[in-house]
Amino acid sequence: MSSHAAAATLDPHDDPTTTTGIPNKKLLMWAFLASDCMFFGCLISTHLIYRLHPPPGTPSARQVFSIELTSFSTFILLMSSLMMALAVNAIQKGNLKSMRWSLLTTIFFGLIFLGCQVYEFRNFVFEKHLTITNSILGTTFFTLTGTHGLHVLIGVIWLTAMLIYSFTGRLTEKQSIDVESMGLYWHFVDIVWIVIFTAVYLLEYI
Amino acid sequence: MEALAKTDFIAKDDQPAKPLVLWRPTAKTGLISWLTTVDHKRIGFLYGLSALFFFIFGGLEALAIRLQLAVPNNTFLTSAQYSEMFTMHGTTMIFLVVMPMGAAFFNFIMPLQIGARDVAFPRLNAFSFWTFVVGAIVLNIGWFTKDGAPDAGWFGYAPLTTRTFSPTHAIDMWVMGLQLLGVASIAAALNFIVTIINMRAPGMTMMRLPVFTWMTLFTSFLIVLSFPAITIALIEIMMDRLFGTNFFEVSSGGLPILWQHLFWIFGHPEVYILILPAMGIISEILPTFSRKPLFGYPIVVFSGASIGFLGFGVWSHHMFTTGMGTTATAAFSMMTMAIAVPTGVKIFNWIGTLWGGHITMRTPMMFAIGFLWMFMLGGLSGIMHSAAPADAQQHGSYFIVAHFHYVLIGGSLFALFAGIQYWFPLMFGRMISEFWGKVTFWLVFVGFNVTFFPMHFLGLEGMPRRTFTYDANMGWATGNLFATIGAFILAIGVATFFISMIYAFFKGERAHKDQWDGRTLEWSLPVPPPEYNFAVIPTVHARDGWWYAKKHASEIAKETAEHAKEDEAHGGIHMPNQSIYPFLASVGILIGAIGVAVVDHDPSPGFWGTKVAITILGGAIMFVSVLLWACEGADGFHIHLNADGSVREDGGHH
Amino acid sequence: MRLHTFASLLTKSARFPALLGLATMLSGCFWFDGPQSTFDPHGPVARHQMDLFYVTCWVCLVIFMAVGAVLAYTNFKFLARSDADAHAEPPEEAHGNPLVEVSLIGASVLALVIIAIPTLKGIWYSYDVPADEKANAYVVTATGYQWWFKFDYPNEVAKTVDASGKTVNAAFSTANELVIPVGRPVEINLRTLDVIHSFWIPKLAGKVDMMPNRANHLWIEADKAGYFWGQCAEFCGESHAVMRFRVIALGPREFNDWLSNQAEPARHLEAPVADEAKPKAQFASYRTFKRNEAGTTEAFDADPLAGWRKQQQPSPGEDAALVATGRKLFASKTCSSCHTVRGDGYIGVVGPELTHVGARSTIAAGLLENNRDEVHRWIHAPNEVKPGNKMWVSGYLANQIKLTPEDENALVAYLQSLK
Repeated sequence: MSSHAAAATLDPHDDPTTTTGIPNKKLLMWAFLASDCMFFGCLISTHLIYRLHPPPGTPSARQVFSIELTSFSTFILLMSSLMMALAVNAIQKGNLKSMRWSLLTTIFFGLIFLGCQVYEFRNFVFEKHLTITNSILGTTFFTLTGTHGLHVLIGVIWLTAMLIYSFTGRLTEKQSIDVESMGLYWHFVDIVWIVIFTAVYLLEYI
Repeated sequence: MEALAKTDFIAKDDQPAKPLVLWRPTAKTGLISWLTTVDHKRIGFLYGLSALFFFIFGGLEALAIRLQLAVPNNTFLTSAQYSEMFTMHGTTMIFLVVMPMGAAFFNFIMPLQIGARDVAFPRLNAFSFWTFVVGAIVLNIGWFTKDGAPDAGWFGYAPLTTRTFSPTHAIDMWVMGLQLLGVASIAAALNFIVTIINMRAPGMTMMRLPVFTWMTLFTSFLIVLSFPAITIALIEIMMDRLFGTNFFEVSSGGLPILWQHLFWIFGHPEVYILILPAMGIISEILPTFSRKPLFGYPIVVFSGASIGFLGFGVWSHHMFTTGMGTTATAAFSMMTMAIAVPTGVKIFNWIGTLWGGHITMRTPMMFAIGFLWMFMLGGLSGIMHSAAPADAQQHGSYFIVAHFHYVLIGGSLFALFAGIQYWFPLMFGRMISEFWGKVTFWLVFVGFNVTFFPMHFLGLEGMPRRTFTYDANMGWATGNLFATIGAFILAIGVATFFISMIYAFFKGERAHKDQWDGRTLEWSLPVPPPEYNFAVIPTVHARDGWWYAKKHASEIAKETAEHAKEDEAHGGIHMPNQSIYPFLASVGILIGAIGVAVVDHDPSPGFWGTKVAITILGGAIMFVSVLLWACEGADGFHIHLNADGSVREDGGHH
Repeated sequence: MRLHTFASLLTKSARFPALLGLATMLSGCFWFDGPQSTFDPHGPVARHQMDLFYVTCWVCLVIFMAVGAVLAYTNFKFLARSDADAHAEPPEEAHGNPLVEVSLIGASVLALVIIAIPTLKGIWYSYDVPADEKANAYVVTATGYQWWFKFDYPNEVAKTVDASGKTVNAAFSTANELVIPVGRPVEINLRTLDVIHSFWIPKLAGKVDMMPNRANHLWIEADKAGYFWGQCAEFCGESHAVMRFRVIALGPREFNDWLSNQAEPARHLEAPVADEAKPKAQFASYRTFKRNEAGTTEAFDADPLAGWRKQQQPSPGEDAALVATGRKLFASKTCSSCHTVRGDGYIGVVGPELTHVGARSTIAAGLLENNRDEVHRWIHAPNEVKPGNKMWVSGYLANQIKLTPEDENALVAYLQSLK
């Protein structure tokens, strides 16, 4: 606390009001993500367990999945992470305009991902006849990917709210931690998707 | 980029533009002040009050159970009522009594122990509390509906909880209630983690943290990492019940064993969530009343950590009879034995703390030493369960009932009672009568043992738990009668405790500062502590910071005066603003939860049935509240202490 | 391996003093040979588990005594006895003693090793029939239902009569009373068709759960002929507490007699062909029961195996005409849509098989003694006996079954005749 009076350049990675120097919001987000890891861990485990014990008559995942579309949406989601990183970088430098463009692109990519998922779900239900009730595969698949989709949707709403907020003039580099913790969340959602993509989709093609 | 002074970070309320805000309440008294409070002490008090309220509920349920079992073939309750009683007794005592009582202390005491003025996220803290209340309401709503209260046992094994076998909404309420309690617990735990890591006073290194704070930290990590497992299990059963999915639908290949795994991956850490705070309280009380520092502080801390860590690797010992196969059974047997070691270490260290001390037998100390004896018994019967083949006889019998009540009453509850007696003077500036405190202790101690010791024998004589009746020829009549008599002694003890506590709250003898000659920072405060806790944030020079400060009074006084000047130069004491939005968000959640769990499926076709409409209304209220909550910002005002101790506020209530 | 010897020595020597220690404390209050007592094992599995229990009990008692003694001593020795004492200058600020800590940790680990070795042995022993006895094992399948147990004997064949009157083979199955041969390991496959149940015969073996979509098993062996109580040990709904069963262990000859009697189709009384005789008005003599009233008498409990044996014989004073009426009512009151009576053309599979129900010592899943009064109690008000049971909910209520006293009388006579 002796650094009270010391003048220094603004370092977004150091908050002198906290014991460790890590901003509270960042720490909160990390702890929350640890918890979220367990959420997804349990859902993914459920899917994998039922994958090992398929009841008779379970449809073949390989015939249902469309790996091309999912690969594309995975790529899009990864690119959105890049844009998110750029947005955080921009606000830390106080470049509001650049941040807005990056946020907008992130939102756009997020929406493309969600669009792909909606298309995929409709396709599975109406063309491939895999529903959430008619088999264990449908149950675990839709619950897991649906939960992830919900995370993306919450992320998109958050991003949009932040974008709108940035026009009120209240968002400056001093509040960059707000954008940064949102970014942590977004990256996490992307990483979880990589795991889901591997454990749910790619695994069927080995 | 222009250079900025770091002080810009500190004076956060000095912002260029006013934040978006509709209404920022400032009431200091009255209903609004309680609904909008962000003061960790008030929230802690609310947690404690709710826990004690539900304790009466859970206790009455227990007495009803004991009355039914007092004699063979009794007809006091019907089978269906009995199922509701034991389900709600277990759920209530775990989620609505012991956990919130722990949370009450986490909230009230922990920030004081680390020298903080509040938790890291005061509004999130309020949200945690109100969501807890909402969860408790949803859980208990069934008593007032035709569906009745939940009745599938506190671990609700699928497929008994599926719609096929439990068609009413009772289980929906149980599922929804527990989910909300999970949200509340996780939110609170995240807050405590950040608070402990980030809000320590200068000099309060991790290895100087009071043990209670350490246990708060471990408990919070356990909550954050274990509650997701039960939440997912509950979501899966909810999907099954609401949308007809197949997670636990046996005919479609669902595996009920999965529920057990998910439940106990949560359930076992939960046991430590219930006992670690108790261990923390004991580790505060024993040194104070022995006038000695805790024996082997680092070992106590690390054993707490290893209990928390190993706690994630023993869940299947709740499933020894599910036919896991030999290897898995053996592995979990060994792990369970291993976890006994750090637990034993704690007991050794507590005795080491007493050794050579000057033991004063005040009421908190009596409960603490009672805890040592009872927890030892509960722990040892726990070791007996770890021998899986022997456990095959004990599992699901009254032996188990005896074991976990020794751990949860003899352990958790004794410690929580000790904690109430110990911190009461600090919290309210009044003393609980020493005489009535001791009467309470002996009634509780005797009643508890008379109730639960015979249950060991009942279990070994083959009495399964959750049975609403038994025949006289089984040899269980005497033990059950004993247990029922004991339960009423215990109830009288608890009633005495409540009465002496309520009396003390209004009329008790005035306590003075540092009533017990304490060792940790909370005792450096006036009683009851002011809104801002510390006039000057203390600087910590040693473990047991307040003890050190008392021994080095003159140096500390000089240092404090200097820091006071510095603080005033930086704008005084920063206090967070009140907010109504956490409360409103919880109200939204309540409405939504009632929509999901209580309202009947609308028989009329179409999307906009009553159920969906109510659910969406609740969701919308929550969403808007959270949005406004985010937009109003944290903000705060400043308090300036005048030389005469009076308070002047400025900085504006934005 | 010395530890292992020590552990087994402890097993043997522990039984007596540990029992003494526990029993003296509460002597007179409790006894240890109740019908479901785990202290009174009658087979190798239960005995193994009890021995292990004593090892753990003994080790824990020793730890408790030792630690408790130190705690008591500390508490007494360092108690401040005066106000001055309490406020005396506190002792040196000591923070621990690594040597003491480490040796105590070592001691705890050692104590746990003593428990661990017999535990590991026991896990493998109790899991399955020992390999050298596998060939000799008798196999049955137990299936849990809300709230009764079905026992199938896959290696036996029963007889029934088909529509044309020809005797044909049928599945060999009984309910709620498992009859096993003495001195042979019995491998029980555990299944369930609804929720989770747990199969527990405390005197023969610890419990194993019956799990949907999971093939569990258990093995037991009875040392000598006997009558054993069992009970469901996992909460399975409203009537979990009254979901009980019995195991009857018989010597080889008696077991074979039982098998051959069970294999027969339902017994028909040789009766003078009375023309649809009106049932006599015997119903007035039925006892009425309170809810939850005990279902067995002291006389029966005194020697239940003798009671079971007596039950194998036809009861005196059977009224053939009444039985014949009961047999008809069994169909007209829809009993037959759930219950099987081989030879009488009833093939329901929802409820327990009743071909030889009269030869069981209990009815309603081990709850009620099998006599006229109790059978009447059961069919008269099933929900009072077993709340929420299917016979009441999906039978009586759903089909709006009303039984007149005459109906009940005939049905009781019919069920009692099925020896």
